Amino acid sequence: MRYVIHSVKMLMKSAMQYRSSLLMQVIAQFVMTGGEMMAVTVLLSRFRVVGHWGAAEIMFFFGVMQASFALTELFGRGIAAFQGFIGRGEFDSLLLRPKPLLLQVVCSQLDPRRLGSFLVGAAAILIAATRLEIVWTAGKLLLMAEVAVCSVLLLLGLFLIEATMCFFSVKSIEMVNVLTYGGRSTCQYPVDIFPAPIRLLFTYAAPVALCMHWPVSYVLGQPMVQMAAGWYYVTPLAGMVFFALMACVWYWGVRRYRSTGT
Amino acid sequence: MPFIDVNHLSKVYVRHNAPKNGGLSRLWKRETQRIPALTDATFSIERGELVGLIGPNGAGKSTTVKLLTGILTPTEGSCTVDGRSPWADRKAHVKHLGAVFGQRTQLWWDVPIRDSFLLLRDIYGLEQAKWQKRLDELVGALELETFLNAPLRQLSLGQRMRAELCGSLLHEPSLLFLDEPTIGLDAVSKLKLRAFLREENRTRGTTILLTTHDMEDMLALCSRVMVLGHGRLLYDGQLDALLHKYDTVHTLRVSYDGGADLAGVTAEVSRDGDTYILTYEPAKLPTSELLPQVLAAGRVREMTLKEQNVDELIARMYREMAL
Repeated sequence: MRYVIHSVKMLMKSAMQYRSSLLMQVIAQFVMTGGEMMAVTVLLSRFRVVGHWGAAEIMFFFGVMQASFALTELFGRGIAAFQGFIGRGEFDSLLLRPKPLLLQVVCSQLDPRRLGSFLVGAAAILIAATRLEIVWTAGKLLLMAEVAVCSVLLLLGLFLIEATMCFFSVKSIEMVNVLTYGGRSTCQYPVDIFPAPIRLLFTYAAPVALCMHWPVSYVLGQPMVQMAAGWYYVTPLAGMVFFALMACVWYWGVRRYRSTGT
Repeated sequence: MPFIDVNHLSKVYVRHNAPKNGGLSRLWKRETQRIPALTDATFSIERGELVGLIGPNGAGKSTTVKLLTGILTPTEGSCTVDGRSPWADRKAHVKHLGAVFGQRTQLWWDVPIRDSFLLLRDIYGLEQAKWQKRLDELVGALELETFLNAPLRQLSLGQRMRAELCGSLLHEPSLLFLDEPTIGLDAVSKLKLRAFLREENRTRGTTILLTTHDMEDMLALCSRVMVLGHGRLLYDGQLDALLHKYDTVHTLRVSYDGGADLAGVTAEVSRDGDTYILTYEPAKLPTSELLPQVLAAGRVREMTLKEQNVDELIARMYREMAL
């Protein structure tokens, strides 16, 4: 734990070495994600509803996805940009240190630029929540916290697939971007507006719906699926399971790397 | 059991390439290429030895180092370091291992090196007091005081190498790997670095395995040397004996004041401007016989006797081993 805290502190310090550049990039990210939010807002002002969701609800979903994706990229930069470790040969250095490998990968890089996107996401959630006049109970807040943690883990799991591919070939990485960045663009809208294949993909294969949409729909008071309230606290755990599985796959990739020496 | 015990260690890299001509089938067909990087190496190293590992690029040096550090798993054979398997027991193994790769940094680029050392304390789980004592020791020995608060990227090459060494020795490893530690250093830095390594080896009994292309490093540090070529261990023994065995051709460079008549010199003579270059085999023509001939040829202004460098030696060794 001391290692994790100390690493993060040091990465912050590194980032602060280039303060003005960092500030510019945070602003750039803020503007980019903000622009996307504007686009969604403008679109919705024309149509008012998507499926059975109103504009404010859509903005809430949008905010949850943007915020958790930004958090994932912020802290999971090491995994998201894993090619770099292999390309620069830094992965060998990690193998020479007596700490768990995945922990080292995460603790090696931060992407503080994403703070800009995170702020937009958080703002979208707040604005939407105010407009919808959501009554916040302790249970709902707790659920939102759980959604945040589990969504980040799920997204890290998706990035881990990409990272595992790095052990094999560099070419196929773009293919997996469909799940990560494609997943972000798709699942910033509630999954039930999509046709069955996409819905199934993002519910059971890459369980974004279980982590985000189902519990969020419950918080919004318009549950997507009919089940007892308690279950909404259970389904997000799929993100943890997904992450654990993908971590195993990644470690399998590490074993291969060490035997082939790519 | 020896400290490092390597038995019939082999490593074959498997590469998959798309076939050269195959049209669309390139997308799913692939050709498998097996590249032997290390073949059947057997050797042992005792605690406290200082061993040099030499060989040209692609000879298998870094593969050997990667196997011994546990970065790679072998295709065949076994290897233990202090009774542990480097790859199966990675975390326990690397806790007692230090490594410096001349070309690649182990420290953090943008933060003061002191901060890097602090993080290494946490990575290796060192006690504060022990760490502080060791850091003071190393900072003194490697003269790091003046730039301890500067980020790594601002350091000169020599300063950086010293910082890297400090980082790799904080946890008092029993085994230290050095890959080209003196590459790009100036003469003074090289001498200091060698002195430091000898001292570290002598006082702490740290086993040091060194790969280098710098013959001076070898001569200054290692009594034992292993030569790798084409993935095979070609020689393992005393450095002196190796030099003696293959250093059979000497070169003598002589320049004269005024004219010179080298007709009486029995060595092979060529000219480089004012300088005569004489090559001879001491086994056939002893230096003691050649020198009077050279002195008799004119008024000698300058004379240097050159031994072959390590690359020439190894090239010669290959030729003789028909590789």
